[in-house]
Amino acid sequence: MNVFDEVKKALRKVNPGLDDNKMVSSALLKDDLDIDSLDLVEVAMTLEDVFSLTLQEDEVDTIKTVGDIVSLIEARLKVRSA
Amino acid sequence: MLNRVVVTGYGAITPLGLNAEDTWRNLVDGVSGVGYISLFDTTDFKVKIGAEVKDFNPIDYIDPTTARHTDRFAQFALAASLQAIESAGLKIDESNRYDVGIVVGSGVGGLDSVTKQLEILSARGPSRVSPYLVPMMIADSASAQVSIKTGIRGPNFSLISACATGTDVIGIAYKMIKWGEVKMMVVGGADAAVTPIGLAGFSQAGALSRNSEPQKASRPFDRERDGFVVAEGGAALILESLDCARSRGANILAEIIGYGATSDAFHVTAPLESGEAAARAIELALAEVDRDEVDYINAHGTSTPLNDASETRAIKKAFGDKAYKIPVSSIKSMLGHMMGAAGTIEAITCCQVINKGIIPPTINLEHPDPECDLDYVPNVARAGDVRIALSNSFGFGGHNSVIAISRYNGQ
Repeated sequence: MNVFDEVKKALRKVNPGLDDNKMVSSALLKDDLDIDSLDLVEVAMTLEDVFSLTLQEDEVDTIKTVGDIVSLIEARLKVRSA
Repeated sequence: MLNRVVVTGYGAITPLGLNAEDTWRNLVDGVSGVGYISLFDTTDFKVKIGAEVKDFNPIDYIDPTTARHTDRFAQFALAASLQAIESAGLKIDESNRYDVGIVVGSGVGGLDSVTKQLEILSARGPSRVSPYLVPMMIADSASAQVSIKTGIRGPNFSLISACATGTDVIGIAYKMIKWGEVKMMVVGGADAAVTPIGLAGFSQAGALSRNSEPQKASRPFDRERDGFVVAEGGAALILESLDCARSRGANILAEIIGYGATSDAFHVTAPLESGEAAARAIELALAEVDRDEVDYINAHGTSTPLNDASETRAIKKAFGDKAYKIPVSSIKSMLGHMMGAAGTIEAITCCQVINKGIIPPTINLEHPDPECDLDYVPNVARAGDVRIALSNSFGFGGHNSVIAISRYNGQ
C-alpha cells in the first residue's frame, strides 16, 4: 500500500473537493487544503483503520503538512516491520 | 421609543415543498404531505408513517464539506434561512454584519447524528466516534452554521421549548428588535425527527397517530383523531425594525404586534386540560390589540385528543363568544408536526393568509367532536380578509407561546 496515496484518499474523504495537484508533500493542511483540527482527527481515524495502527494524540497534534502525515505513518510502519 | 417590528422575508423546507410558495399552494389545495416513511425501515415499528421532506439535496444550498458536517435538521435551517435572506433582499456585508442577529431553534437537535455515533461507540469504541459529533448534534448548530455561512455577527443563539420553539424564536427576536437591542434578526426553527429513535420515542409516549391511512392520520379537531404525525423541515423569517426596513427600501410583508408566553406547570407531555395558561398566553399576545380585531387563528392543532380539546377551551376562554366567529385552522392536518419548525412555518402561513386573502383548511375534519366546536375551516380553503392573525404553539413540558401578526398598514 502506497502511504502517500492512502493519505490523499483520507484527505479527500473529509474534503471531497480537494484538487489532486494541491495535495503535495509540502502543502499546509489548514492554509492550503482547508483541513482543520476536526478534519485531521477524522483523517487520522481513517489512516488508523487502513494501516491497522493507533496514532497518539500528541503525534497527531504536531502535524502541519501532508508530508508530516506521510512521515508519521511511514515511521510507525517501519517500527512495526523491524 | 420602542421600535415596530416587521417581517420582510421568509423561506421554508417542508413536506409540502422546498420553498414557502410551493408549500402555500399545497396548503391552500388541501394536500397532505404525510406518507409511509422511506428514510429508514419501519418493519418493527408500530407507527410507519411520517411527513418527510422530499427531494431535498443540501448541496443545492451549501458546499459538500459543510453538508457532510451538518445534521439534516441544520441543513433544513441553512436552506430556509438562505431563502429568507434572499427573499428579504438582505445583503450582509461589512457595513451591517453586527446589526443582524440570528436565533434558530430546534426541538430535538441532531438526533440522527447522536444515534449513528452511539452505534459506532458500541460497535467500535470511543476512538472511532466522529470529531464532528458535537458540532453536529448540539441544537444551536443550526444557528451557528447560518452565521458562519452568511457572515452574521450580531447576537446568535438557539432556544428550545419543544413544539413551541418555532414561535418563541419569533417572540424573542421581536422583543429584542422592539427594545432596540438589534436591528434585524434571522429567526427560524428546524427539526429532523423522522428517525428511528425519534419515531420510537414519540410513539412510546403515546403521542403519535396509529392510523394506517397516512393521509388521513393527521385530523386535528376531528372526533376520530388519535395523535400527531411526525414531520421534518425548517422555516425562517427575517424580522427587522420598521425604520430599518424603510431605510433599505425592503418589501414589508407583515408586522409582528404581540407575543405572549406562559407555562402550564402541569405535566411533561399532557397540556393543562382547562387551557387556562394557554388562554393567558393568547391574552398577553393581544396586550396591545383589541381582541375583536382578530380575524384568524392558526391553531397548534396537533391532532392529539388532549391538545385539540384544551386548545379549543383556551381560545374560548380568551375570546368568549367571539371565539365562535373566528376561523381557526390547523395546517398540521397537511404538514404533520414539524416540531421546532412548526411555529415558524405557521407564522409564515399567517403572513401569507394576511397578504393573499385565503385561509388554508383543516383537512380530514369529518366527524364533529362536541369538545371541539369552533369554526376550524373544515377541508376546503376559504377566502378571508384577515388583518390580524394569531399563531398558537404549545410544547411538551407545558410551553404556551402565541404571536400576533398584523397586515402592514403602510404607515
